[in-house]
Amino acid sequence: MQTISDKKQRWALKDVIFLAIIAIFFGVIYEVWGLSYNVIAATPLKPFANDITLGVWLMAGPLAGLMLKKVGATLIGELLAAVVEMFLFSQWGAANIISGFIQGFASELGFAVTGYKNWSKIALFFSTISATIITFIWDLFQSGYLDYHFNLLILLFIVRFLSIGFFAGILVYWINQLVSQSGILNR
Amino acid sequence: MTKWWHVNPTLLTLFVLWLSLEISFIKSISLNLILIGLALIYLLLTKVKYKTLLLMLFVSLPFAIGTWLSFWLFSTTQPIYLAAVYTTRLYAYLLLGAAITLTTNIQPLLLSLHQHVKLPNTFTFGLLAAFNLLPRVKQQLKTIQYAAELRGLSYHLWHPHLYFKAIVSALNWSTDLAEAMTSHGFSEGFNRSEPDPDVLPLWQVIMLTVIIILINIYYFSMLPK
Amino acid sequence: MTTLSTHQLNFTYQSDQQPILNNISLTLNPNSFNLLIGVSGSGKSTLLKLLAGLYPKFAGKITAGEVLLNAQPVADIVPYERAQHVAMLFQNPLRQFAMATPYEEVKFALGNLQFDPNEMPDRIQSALAFVGITHLAHHQIRHLSGGEQQKVALATIIAMDADIILLDEPFANIDPMARQSLLTALQKLQQTRGKTIFISDHDLSGYDGLVDCLYQLHANGQLNEASLNLLKAQPTTVQFENRMNQQVSPLSWQNLQVQLSNTLLIQANEFSIPYGQIGIISGPNGAGKTTFFKALTQQIAYTGQITWHQKSLSQLRPKQRAKVIGYGFQTATDQFVTMTVEEEILLSKKQTQSSEFWTSTRIEKSLKQLQLSDLLSHVVYRLSGGQQKKLQILSLLILNLPILLFDEPFAGLDKDSLNQVLTLMRNYVNQTGHSILLISHQRHGLENFIDFELTMTNHKLHLLGEDSIHD
Ligand SMILES: Nc1ncnc2c1ncn2[C@@H]1O[C@H](COP(=O)(O)OP(=O)(O)OP(=O)(O)O)[C@@H](O)[C@H]1O
Ligand SMILES: Nc1ncnc2c1ncn2[C@@H]1O[C@H](COP(=O)(O)OP(=O)(O)OP(=O)(O)O)[C@@H](O)[C@H]1O
Ligand SMILES: [Mg+2]
Ligand SMILES: [Mg+2]
Repeated sequence: MQTISDKKQRWALKDVIFLAIIAIFFGVIYEVWGLSYNVIAATPLKPFANDITLGVWLMAGPLAGLMLKKVGATLIGELLAAVVEMFLFSQWGAANIISGFIQGFASELGFAVTGYKNWSKIALFFSTISATIITFIWDLFQSGYLDYHFNLLILLFIVRFLSIGFFAGILVYWINQLVSQSGILNR
Repeated sequence: MTKWWHVNPTLLTLFVLWLSLEISFIKSISLNLILIGLALIYLLLTKVKYKTLLLMLFVSLPFAIGTWLSFWLFSTTQPIYLAAVYTTRLYAYLLLGAAITLTTNIQPLLLSLHQHVKLPNTFTFGLLAAFNLLPRVKQQLKTIQYAAELRGLSYHLWHPHLYFKAIVSALNWSTDLAEAMTSHGFSEGFNRSEPDPDVLPLWQVIMLTVIIILINIYYFSMLPK
Repeated sequence: MTTLSTHQLNFTYQSDQQPILNNISLTLNPNSFNLLIGVSGSGKSTLLKLLAGLYPKFAGKITAGEVLLNAQPVADIVPYERAQHVAMLFQNPLRQFAMATPYEEVKFALGNLQFDPNEMPDRIQSALAFVGITHLAHHQIRHLSGGEQQKVALATIIAMDADIILLDEPFANIDPMARQSLLTALQKLQQTRGKTIFISDHDLSGYDGLVDCLYQLHANGQLNEASLNLLKAQPTTVQFENRMNQQVSPLSWQNLQVQLSNTLLIQANEFSIPYGQIGIISGPNGAGKTTFFKALTQQIAYTGQITWHQKSLSQLRPKQRAKVIGYGFQTATDQFVTMTVEEEILLSKKQTQSSEFWTSTRIEKSLKQLQLSDLLSHVVYRLSGGQQKKLQILSLLILNLPILLFDEPFAGLDKDSLNQVLTLMRNYVNQTGHSILLISHQRHGLENFIDFELTMTNHKLHLLGEDSIHD
């Protein structure tokens, strides 16, 4: 009978399912989060609502990256979470997929900078920086930030970095520490 | 059941993504309105539930108001015009998204992507198996919070334990599922037989391409010379 | 003719540890019915997964010997070819399906095996018919009961036409009726289709006369053949005497009803939980037992009343409610909120409502009784299934809540552990006056510990042992 040894896959089935389930958890969390976001978003403070909370929406990617330590895991994790969120109904509709892609790509870049050799604090820090810059550039166009006052923009940028730094940086780091302590990944 | 005028899922996704991407860079109220109209027509043709649709429009109302207000108050030039652009854009995204989510399911979408854009089997069926767990994932998040409550803790969005518990479940479930699928003969990197070929009619490709071209012609002819 | 065999096999999960399986030589004869027993944690699941070729791909390492399917190492064979010879049914029914409906699931397997699509419908229908679930073909698998789910898994294996069928505690979450009907289906498979069956099980009832070979796995990882006489004299049904206390606790319900998707699932008219006793809720798979517990703990919507000291339980705030009623989940790991055994116990100790009763001495004694005292620094996620169950139960008992609910607390516990856990529960209710209500399909070994039984049939909850049906 035919043997498997001659066909090694880069992405094992188990990894794909693991990644997808993480993304689904986040998709569901995002949806719940989206509802509370709506409360601030209904006011003129919407751009702040956007930037204060943005970090939450960027967690799935880096976390998936740290869990799987694979090229592309960050991007795919974030993208999938966004797709799930769209299917669960979100006010962003199709824009979800696009921003999921941009956010995933932005976070992935930080890991890519280290040549995917480093999966520790430093890489995570790079990832929060690349994520802040790229998502901000994207919002200049897509959410019309270009049309805001310049001072507001600076403020928004700082708020965004703090949010991403906390949620997609520090919090993800803590989660990763719990996972390593538990030993569930290195059985 | 799907009728002949149901657009193929792969094609529909590409079409929606393309136009969503275009309007991300184009500031045009009329273009947004055209897309809103197109999406609405398609949604009515495919007989989605009015209730769901109305609910969707209603729920995003606060979001739309916030968008309007923020440009109206904070933008440097043309506040009303910009507010209208971004508010209609929001509804265009929403309805284009609904044109996918309310008319197709994950399964046909994945199988279609597998056939037409060569999404690998491992991803197609791995994602499908995971998506079938969606109701359990929702339940599990409640269980996680309830377990914490019982022991006098409460998990909020900023507590790492909440996510850690989710990862524990994800890992257990993914191992079990992957083992079970393998035991049901799923072989990574090998072919399977495809019992339900997904049709991608040529007329749909032509029709959607023509629509995209017309939209672009319309837009660029409207640009001030 | 397909034979599956191991030869002086050693297997370990972590290379620095003692092998889980030790020098195992085993040959499954074609067309035979084999049973595997052994205490929990002895490695039954591990052995079955090795035979199915899933290990070492998914975990661990073979350190000596091999597993052969007709002279070829089974783990190297590509799954779609292997599945035509060896297939496996898993303990947890719900986690073995990739698709949403039975029909789709069987079709998925046939697709993997590269069957001709034109042949599929007939093949699927006849496999579903063989196990008697044709009417469920297009139902959502997740809405089926545990027993029905196991039948779907069996139908898949039948459609794939595997010669050797491995079953890992397939009845652990299944009611006695469903168990009997699955066993009958398996016997029919062996006798009419010449299949080889290998089952692991803790419960030996119902196997007498079916089994050709009985294997026993020991705690040191060695396997030997045991006498078939062990299967004789297994009592088939266990009845519980009604010793219900007339003194009642403050928790009761009136006209409790739960509807799911517009069908009435539960109707429980009037009952007060007795003071200081242990009750069991029984009933077939899918009867609504778990759902009932969810209603009691306010996790799902219901109509009617659940009262605590004559006040509606739903009016208590979640924090207060958590001091009244506790819930032991079916999956032990869901219960854990910290990292190590010690932290888990300490957290409960901090939260306990009676530090006079749960003194450090008592806790230490209980830990010893449950054989957990040497594991204090261990990470809870790396304990064996049985150890996790025991820790889960103890950490809930320490909370000292007036009402404790347990959903299948004994699944996967061996006889000794079962006895220890029940003794602990017994002493707890006797001395604190608190009440325990548990759901369990397992009945053997519980005879001396249960005070009353509620059964759920046709969506109604009855108290057993009373002349008039309770409603
Ligand atoms: N993936 C794993 N990684 C490390 N250790 C494991 C793993 N799976 C099981 N073990 C350990 O191997 C031992 C044997 O486990 P196994 O599940 O095979 O026992 P079992 O006889 O099936 O028990 P039970 O009756 O409780 O199901 C246990 O001590 C368990 O903790
Ligand atoms: N959303 C739903 N719609 C319809 N039926 C449902 C839904 N959710 C669950 N059910 C059904 O409710 C029934 C009760 O399930 P429950 O888990 O309470 O049963 P159980 O008595 O605990 O069974 P088991 O002994 O297998 O654990 C099952 O038949 C299930 O299929
Ligand atoms: Mg086992
Ligand atoms: Mg149950």
